[in-house]
Amino acid sequence: MPREAEPSLNERQFVLKALEENLRLDGRTFDKYRALALTFGDEYGVADVTLGRTRVLAKTSAEVTVPYADRPLDGIFTITTELSPMASPAFEINRPTETEILLSRLLEKTVRRSGAMDTESLCLVAGQKCWSVRVDVHVLSHDGNLTDAACFAVVAALRHFRKPDTSMEGGVLTVYTPAEREPVPLSWLHSPFCITWCFFGDEGQMALLDATWSEEQVRVGSCTISLNRHGEICQIAKLGGTPVEAVALLQCTNVALTKAKEFSTYLDKKLAEDAKRRDKDGLMAELSAENDR
Amino acid sequence: MPLDTSAYSLALLRVDGRRWNELRRVHAQIRTQAAADGSSYLEMGHTKVMCVVNGPSEPGPRRGTAGGGGGGGGPGGVAEVAVSVVVAGFSSVDRKRRGRGDKRTLELQTTISNALAASLHTHLYPHSTISISLHVLSQDGSLLAALINAATLACVDAGIPMTDYVVACTAGSTSTYAANDETADPLLDLNHQEEQELPSLTVATLGETDRVAVLVCESRVQASRLEGMLAVGVSGCHQVREILDQVVRDKGRHMIKEGTVEKGMGVEEMEVD
Repeated sequence: MPREAEPSLNERQFVLKALEENLRLDGRTFDKYRALALTFGDEYGVADVTLGRTRVLAKTSAEVTVPYADRPLDGIFTITTELSPMASPAFEINRPTETEILLSRLLEKTVRRSGAMDTESLCLVAGQKCWSVRVDVHVLSHDGNLTDAACFAVVAALRHFRKPDTSMEGGVLTVYTPAEREPVPLSWLHSPFCITWCFFGDEGQMALLDATWSEEQVRVGSCTISLNRHGEICQIAKLGGTPVEAVALLQCTNVALTKAKEFSTYLDKKLAEDAKRRDKDGLMAELSAENDR
Repeated sequence: MPLDTSAYSLALLRVDGRRWNELRRVHAQIRTQAAADGSSYLEMGHTKVMCVVNGPSEPGPRRGTAGGGGGGGGPGGVAEVAVSVVVAGFSSVDRKRRGRGDKRTLELQTTISNALAASLHTHLYPHSTISISLHVLSQDGSLLAALINAATLACVDAGIPMTDYVVACTAGSTSTYAANDETADPLLDLNHQEEQELPSLTVATLGETDRVAVLVCESRVQASRLEGMLAVGVSGCHQVREILDQVVRDKGRHMIKEGTVEKGMGVEEMEVD
């Protein structure tokens, strides 16, 4: 099994000493994110998120299937993560590492268990037909803070996604192609975002947002908080690590809330831009009788 | 749902008759397995777990994770804390089969391992493994908390040096995420029924300090509610520490009385009755 190369003593000392002097290697302040960029693909439901040198791609797809027997009124919603050797030599295909399991659990809890999507709206015929929505997360480049980038990509991809329109007539289900009817967006309830704090120092007294990979390798603990812009916590995960003062954690939550609001505004803006881009000439083009000839 | 949470506001009593700040009965034993280096048995209400610790010892031959060179252990010349959690099929009401690769179980294992590794003095045992195996016999809420407490006790029994006990308990809030904001009370130590219905979090602290080692919240809750829940959880942890410490002291006293161990230095002033 390949293992990630550990940072040398010198590298470790360098990062930690700099942090003690309130400096980060890339010159950011402790609570500043790297440049976040989101681009949508040509298809609906493809989101490409870059956060510094971390890059994550999420693709949403939907198909009609049979619902689970114990939940006849619910659709199926799954998030799958894949960390390929492309992102880091420590990842192997078909052998999930601890990072991957924790990442997929975190996304599951943040997006699925918090009820961000109304799964009942995916039901077509109770107990017989439903939509199965699936998001595939691909990590293309790993330079720290995978969780925040992956979560942002998943939420962006799902909100951008349009599923084919359907109708029921006399017990016959029709799924329309995009040419016949405009695809419809998913019924979305709230957008949760992950914000990860990394802790440094003997007592975890230094808290950093958006750590790079070199910082993540020397951290003593981390805490991922998922919030939406309404101020609801969807999930908190501080899975062990050096104990941190409870008061400091509360402060982290407050800062995380403002970050979540920033993410939310940024995503809304990007979605609006993309909608405008797709809808080229607006309503006038649609009404016009002219054609290209 | 069977639990009518609206009844709470009438008498301020929970479904099992506790007040908001009461723990369930905690019963613990240490040194339950003679063959192991350390062992414990812990009940928090109807949640029952057993823990066996082996090591610190040389890692077994089957573990292939060790890097090149001499022996295994975690990175940076410290002992590796390997945790395995087995949830018995009969432990909950519905007999659900959980495989070895279940993500929830793997997450529990990672959490317990990371939490204990921060408190145990693992740097004293380079290239070795401390293996902790936990068995869940009965589940009634606060599972992670019970597992952490049992693992701590077993590590104490195994005589592995540690900074302090890592103690855990759960806290919740009486209302759902949006409804009646003002009248919500924080609750301590939730049982299964409450855990299903109410927002809850598991908190583990390092002994009697306010330093939080584990904080896991899996339900939606207003951010403003977190402070109250965390405060109640931390004070609950302090209570749990008292109880666990008492268990360890009682056992020590018992062992001296039986003559299993010699009375060591500094035990003179401790009364042995």
